[in-house]
Amino acid sequence: MAILPVSIARVSDQLRTNASLSAISKTQADLLAVQNEISTGKRVNSPSDDPSAAAVIQQLQKTLASRDGYATNLQSATSQLGEVDSILSDLTNLLQQAQTIASANVGSDVTAGERQAAAEVIKSITSQALSIANKQFNGVYLFAGDRSTAPPFIDSNGKIKYVGSPTVLQNRFDENTTSPFEVNGEQVFGALTTQVAGTTNLAPSLSSTTRLLDLGGAVGNGIHAGSIRLGNGTTTKDVDLSQAGTVNDVITAINNAGLPGVTASLGTTGIQLTGTGNLTVNEIGGGTTAADLGILTAVGTGAGSPINGQSLAAQVTPLTRLSDLRNGAGLDLSGLTITNGGTTTTLNFAGAQTVEDLLNSINGSKAGVLARINATGTGIDIVNPTQGTSLTISENTGTTAAQLGVQNFTAATKISDLNGGHGVRTGAGADFQVIRRNGTTFSVDADGLNTVQDVINAINTADGGAGVTASFNNNTNGITLTDSTGGAGALTVSPINASLAAGDLGLLIPAVGNTITGADVNPVQSKGLFANLQKLTSALESSNQSAITAAASGLQNDHDRVILVRGQTGAQVQGLEARKTQLDGENIATKSLLSTLQDTDFTTAVTKYQSLQTALQANYQMTAKALHLSLLDFLG
Amino acid sequence: MHGRDAYATGKNEDENPASRQPGVEPVRSEAIRTLLTEFRTMSLIGALNIGTTALAVSQAQIQTSGNNIANANTPGYTRQVAGQAPLPSQQIQTGVFVGTGVDLTGIQRQIDQALESRLRAAGSDAAAADTAQQWLGRVESSFNALSGNDLSAQLSTFFNSWSNLANTPQNAGLRQVVLSNGDTVAKTFQGLRSQLAGLSNDAGSQIGAVAGQVNDLAQRVADLNAQIVVTEGGSGGTAGTLRDQRDQILKQLSQLVDVHTVEQANGSVNVYVGSEPLVMNGQNRGIDVKQSVVNGLSTYSAVFKADGGTLNITSGQLGSLVSVQQQISDAVTKIDSQANALIFQLNKIHASGQGLQGATNVTATSAVTDPTVALTDPKSGLKFAPNNGSFVVHVKQNSTGLVSSTLVQVDLNGQPTDTTLNSLKASLAGINGVNATVANGKLSIAAAIPGVEISFSQDTSGVLASLGINNFYTGNNAANIAVNQTLAAQPSLLAAAKNGAPGDNQTALAIAALEGQPIASLKGASLKDSYQSLVNKIATSTAAAKTNAEASKSITETLQAQRDALSGVSIDEEAVNLLKQQRAFQAAAKLITAVDDMMKTLLSMA
Repeated sequence: MAILPVSIARVSDQLRTNASLSAISKTQADLLAVQNEISTGKRVNSPSDDPSAAAVIQQLQKTLASRDGYATNLQSATSQLGEVDSILSDLTNLLQQAQTIASANVGSDVTAGERQAAAEVIKSITSQALSIANKQFNGVYLFAGDRSTAPPFIDSNGKIKYVGSPTVLQNRFDENTTSPFEVNGEQVFGALTTQVAGTTNLAPSLSSTTRLLDLGGAVGNGIHAGSIRLGNGTTTKDVDLSQAGTVNDVITAINNAGLPGVTASLGTTGIQLTGTGNLTVNEIGGGTTAADLGILTAVGTGAGSPINGQSLAAQVTPLTRLSDLRNGAGLDLSGLTITNGGTTTTLNFAGAQTVEDLLNSINGSKAGVLARINATGTGIDIVNPTQGTSLTISENTGTTAAQLGVQNFTAATKISDLNGGHGVRTGAGADFQVIRRNGTTFSVDADGLNTVQDVINAINTADGGAGVTASFNNNTNGITLTDSTGGAGALTVSPINASLAAGDLGLLIPAVGNTITGADVNPVQSKGLFANLQKLTSALESSNQSAITAAASGLQNDHDRVILVRGQTGAQVQGLEARKTQLDGENIATKSLLSTLQDTDFTTAVTKYQSLQTALQANYQMTAKALHLSLLDFLG
Repeated sequence: MHGRDAYATGKNEDENPASRQPGVEPVRSEAIRTLLTEFRTMSLIGALNIGTTALAVSQAQIQTSGNNIANANTPGYTRQVAGQAPLPSQQIQTGVFVGTGVDLTGIQRQIDQALESRLRAAGSDAAAADTAQQWLGRVESSFNALSGNDLSAQLSTFFNSWSNLANTPQNAGLRQVVLSNGDTVAKTFQGLRSQLAGLSNDAGSQIGAVAGQVNDLAQRVADLNAQIVVTEGGSGGTAGTLRDQRDQILKQLSQLVDVHTVEQANGSVNVYVGSEPLVMNGQNRGIDVKQSVVNGLSTYSAVFKADGGTLNITSGQLGSLVSVQQQISDAVTKIDSQANALIFQLNKIHASGQGLQGATNVTATSAVTDPTVALTDPKSGLKFAPNNGSFVVHVKQNSTGLVSSTLVQVDLNGQPTDTTLNSLKASLAGINGVNATVANGKLSIAAAIPGVEISFSQDTSGVLASLGINNFYTGNNAANIAVNQTLAAQPSLLAAAKNGAPGDNQTALAIAALEGQPIASLKGASLKDSYQSLVNKIATSTAAAKTNAEASKSITETLQAQRDALSGVSIDEEAVNLLKQQRAFQAAAKLITAVDDMMKTLLSMA
């Protein structure tokens, strides 16, 4: 109803009609609005009904929608991990069976025939374990990591080879956290335990084209390229580095900033600033750019004193040039000799330009190994993905293996690590005797020695310069004995005092001419589950009790590891389920808030509807009566 | 406001205290006066004359009341009141004065010009608010907000499907879901934009139509001005009907444009828009609509037909339409920039990702007009400018699975050596196993030897997204956004991986995370926040228009009530007046009969 002027002097017919009309139409409009509210059940049907509530409603709807996504992810992850959990339970049972069979077949009361039969059972267990390892769920090979499109374990000449990936998938389960929802096949099956981890940091030098994303950063957090504030003691200048893609871009940007007396240049490992002023470099707006670039200098160290940036820790990437490795010293390209499962492959890296070329050369060879950049981006690991074969890597006449740090057996190897960790079994007193070609002998005591170099020194000392020289042969990975006595006899090493040391050191090898080329007694052995099952099979087949025991103890480790992973998986599933419950609770709270904001309060709405209806009725009646009144009706 | 229309003399009300009352318009009846003076000296004739004046005045009164009754329901009609006053007395002997009858002082329009003017202004505002409410309501409903299937919901579904794809990246079904949700988002963008663009066009043509009406009405005001000046010219009277018509037209005009009027001494009104005259006396300057097109979007403004000067319209239908059309056009721009941000940001991530298989042949979807200029140069014709950076091209031998990678530098530092399409082609062609060609400005990258596949990664320059290589979306705004047909035809090319492993999901995760990421081109808002703030802005304007419409309706009604109270016809009142005049007429007739008898008596004496 329109507000009428306070005092109306006269009431014209138009005024009466208009007033009645506007009262009726206003009440009708209000009635329609309430009717709409009641029929849709929503108080806010379009945002303009209540813009401030609508803004909150939209925000809540957005939250609910993203939670829908998280719920889907949680559902998918819990069912997948649940499947993994039940599979791991099957696997545990299989391993227990195998262990029971192993222990039942140790002892003198078991016949070779019975062991043959047991071997058949273990073979069946192996194939069941393989089928478990290649289990699919929802089209995903569960233990293949991010290569989940193909079976991760394949048969390679009777041995089981892992072609999956140790990189497990992650997904987002709430606003802030991503967590993995897969189990590492490598971890469960010990699939990639046979590896030679590169021991050297290959430390690529900086080049002008080194990308910022390939840098570890001075504080190890990568480079967060933002802006920095350069100062020369008198003035400062802000430099925007957010567009910089390479180290060179950073240097160009600093030099183009045009701050008098400041020049940036490329050092071997970091950025250098020189100039006449008292140089300072500061962060802007809480960034970490200067610190990441290793040039953060809040207080200058005096006029003319340069800032020698810290090492930017350039990472090894497939694109890193081999000539940049080892702080720019480059890599010897002579190559490697890789022996895997009895097959020896000699690789020459001539022509390789980048780390990727090197990796391709190794991975594409017949050696059957997997070379990869390690997780920290500092070096190269060579992995044997085939379970049950042993791996050795030695030089191909050069120093490549040493430079890469991938030689499995060197003079520095501890003798306690040899022979798969069994070490060298020495006896009381001297352990072996060397017969020179001229027939003279000397004996060597290997007790109390630490490294292979110590053994070599001990041999040379024991010989006392009488014609036999021990040294370490990097091309064959072993101790070499060379006889220069010129005698006609055979250079021979023989154990004494019932010691097993000579054999354990790889010296019980017939001489060729003047030389005994010792064996590699530090091959990298697989600790994988399939390797241990296969060892047990062959031990049972050959009825070798000590080998059965050894395999059983390996299986015990596998079993423990699977139990551990299963525990972790269970905890993960529990965590995800707790998150799901929490999410449901949060959803209820959000939905109730949404309902409060958006839904019709029926009590209020219906009451309002009724009162409006009454008002409309009154309007009608009043209008009908009032408009009917006319003086004319009363005139004669 | 000056109620100048009230005085036929054209004098300001302050200068004429006798005429303070609103709506008093004295009209001298010269004929009656002359007639009366002739008979002034003869008393019997004088009495007869008194009867005659009474008859004449009663007739005039009855006619006025009749006219009022007849026009009781005529819109814009102003009640008229016939004024009457005694004629000057006549001295018949020293110190004795006798009355000479009644005189009609004029037919007065019962009007308050100040009220009329406020009513017109309120009418402007009410029409403006009403128009704004109608149009913004349509705009708001095209967004379909809060319905659970608006663009915001579609975006959520789309990004959720990427997140779900991250659960099983190789799942062909989920890939299809991502593609079809992407298509839905594209179609929703297109639908929203075409609805908004349609509304914008409709508003544009409405602006033209309203401007036409304004011209018609202004012309009629000009014509009526001329007529009123001629009719009232020199007589000192008011041309009531013409003025009513003009007032009515001014009322209609003020609903279209917020005009204000200044009445001239000669009875014409000048109509102003802002401080510029639209109608001066009998002259209509006329208005025109100027259409300006920026980025394919039209906006309109009203200008004077004569000199193209801008009209400062703030209210009325036309003012409201111009501002609403501007708002719609802004909304289209916003939607376009949101689609643009979605396309480019998603493509940047997608272009650096890999599908389940590499490609043997990729052709850019965006053409470069001049392959010899830097890719950042506007002459390149690229819709998305790349920046300084690099990307990696991987060539995979299918037989061995070995990959060889090459870093391709994209130098865009503003130096003469900056990367052009040709130089990019040359560096790509230099990669072993890769053929690069340019046809019609579009770069094609193909495997040069059989058995290899090409993929890309780590594009920090955005050049791949910019050229349209390995893109998820094609297009650059809400009108042309579409899912890349190559992907739609071959979902295995959809990039979920980032490290080249077919089961990797890092690209899918990165794209899913794009949902909440701040985007520089959207002033640091995320896609959905930007969309929601647009919806909220429209909602706030719509709600404000609703409130305004209600408020100005209420104001108009109040003012209209005041006007109706003053200027409206009351049948009861007229009926009473009619009775009164009927009696007066009867009495006057009786007087004449009596005088006639007396005259007869006198004559019979002779």
